[in-house]
Amino acid sequence: MVEAIGLYKSFGSVEAVRGVSFSVSRGEIFGLLGPNGAGKTTTIRMITGLLRPDRGRAFIMGIDVHRNPIGARSHIGVVPEVSNPYVDLSVWDNLVLIGKLYCIPKETIIERGKFLLEELGLYDRRSSKAKTLSKGMRRRLLLAMALISDPEILFLDEPTSGLDVFSARKIRSMIMGLRRNGKTIVLTTHNIDEAGMLCDRVAIINKGKIIAEGTPDDLRIRYGKYIEIKVLFDNSIDSSVLNELRDHYNVTCDEKWVTIICEKNELDEVLDKIMNIKHRLGLRIKDLHIESQSFEDIFVRIVRGE
Amino acid sequence: MVACISDYLKKIWALSIKDMRLYYFKGPTIVMGVFMPMFLWLAFMIGSSPSIGSAVAMLLSISSFFAASSITPVILPWETRQKTLEMILARPITIELVLMGTCLASMLYGVFISLVIIAIGIFLGVCPANIPVLIASILLSSICYSFMGLLFSAIPSDVPADAVLLSSVVRMPLIFISGVFVPINRLPILMRPLSYVSPLTYYADIINDLYIGRSAFSLGIDFLVLLLFTIILGIFTIETNRRTIIKRL
Ligand SMILES: Nc1ncnc2c1ncn2[C@@H]1O[C@H](COP(=O)(O)OP(=O)(O)OP(=O)(O)O)[C@@H](O)[C@H]1O
Ligand SMILES: [Mg+2]
Repeated sequence: MVEAIGLYKSFGSVEAVRGVSFSVSRGEIFGLLGPNGAGKTTTIRMITGLLRPDRGRAFIMGIDVHRNPIGARSHIGVVPEVSNPYVDLSVWDNLVLIGKLYCIPKETIIERGKFLLEELGLYDRRSSKAKTLSKGMRRRLLLAMALISDPEILFLDEPTSGLDVFSARKIRSMIMGLRRNGKTIVLTTHNIDEAGMLCDRVAIINKGKIIAEGTPDDLRIRYGKYIEIKVLFDNSIDSSVLNELRDHYNVTCDEKWVTIICEKNELDEVLDKIMNIKHRLGLRIKDLHIESQSFEDIFVRIVRGE
Repeated sequence: MVACISDYLKKIWALSIKDMRLYYFKGPTIVMGVFMPMFLWLAFMIGSSPSIGSAVAMLLSISSFFAASSITPVILPWETRQKTLEMILARPITIELVLMGTCLASMLYGVFISLVIIAIGIFLGVCPANIPVLIASILLSSICYSFMGLLFSAIPSDVPADAVLLSSVVRMPLIFISGVFVPINRLPILMRPLSYVSPLTYYADIINDLYIGRSAFSLGIDFLVLLLFTIILGIFTIETNRRTIIKRL
């Protein structure tokens, strides 16, 4: 459905995107996950035909986006990262305008517009000017505007950034609902949990390059072999005591809390060593946590290139 | 092919309606498009006492000029500012269609204001010699001036006031060298070549011809030059904006 082949774009001396390739198949939610400035927005802009790549090509349903932008864009709905509806037009008129740009018959616009606004909880506000809407409502309106043409593919650039938990949840559940209806979705986010929750597949992008790709679980297994052990002793301990652990593992000590990061298969050894220290110093263990690394930790490690 | 063109026209019209609804009643549009030419005209009227025919002709010339070029400069900076530009460009349209929609809205503003002035003239008993020719000249010149206005929107700024300011700085002097208030043959000899490169000269000449029977060129030349200006400005302005619009994202 969506294919990016070797996309490359630089702005002056800034190489924003350096050879990004991926493809997304029908009915999939694909996430581009990366820190600020990674090149997510630039990538989306190239795939949706807004920016011309310096090198590489992009296809939407087999249509070359830069040869035939109108043809390609008639299959997609887009919510750009920083965008607004027309604030001086009403909610309804914003929807109708977009519908007309897709040359949709008037009856269809009315029917779909009504359905979408009801679905997104904006129907009561349909005659309000968009400037009277809250940020979350505007985002929902933009989503409705992207959906008015009933597109096969949806591009969402940071759909939930800046929204409170409730609005974000609403948008997320809408996204899940869309996938159930067979839509293909490409979204970007720097919210790792969101990517883990929503996406069937994610590509982690950093400094303009995709550095890892797979299902969230894949990545967890591939990069998530580390675990974190946290121990709370009944007395604060001298940091030098932990030197024998430090030689092998990543250890931090904060008064009574000791945190050790090690590989899963070293768990037994580490626990032994902790017991040793405990016996030697005559301490008691008051609390103990052992956790696999979260998607967030994995993400940070991949981005740092560890 | 036919379906394709009719789709394009529908899209241009939809964009244009949007621009009309959003910008026709904005402060800068009304001030620069309606009040400005009116005050200039009044200022000139107070100092001299022309016949009612030439008074209407003067008002018509500068009003069409100002009105048709008052909307195109502000739309792109304004949309950049409001963050609606990327939202609209992500639809199945091209930059050219957006620009054409804008020009159409601006041009119709010029036509509308001109028609109001013509009607007032007729009400006062001043009739143009040839109404079809008058309408044709208004249509052509409004397209020309809306393209001209669009040129100012290519400035690298998202402050609409900057574009308005720049466009006024250029439009204002054009009024004085284009034979609106002072006939070209009474201009200082050094300024005359300048008046030949002003697109307003040829429209004002048509209007003067039709209202007071005074003209510097024949109607054919006026229309031909106006058409050339329109084509050159059109190509140039769309090309310039196509390059700069991407930088607005
Ligand atoms: N129009 C532009 N002109 C100049 N530089 C740009 C432009 N757009 C993006 N860049 C640069 O390209 C790089 C990638 O930017 P991009 O917006 O694609 O990142 P992003 O992953 O979307 O980041 P964020 O999470 O902050 O939205 C950045 O270094 C940015 O400064
Ligand atoms: Mg971004």
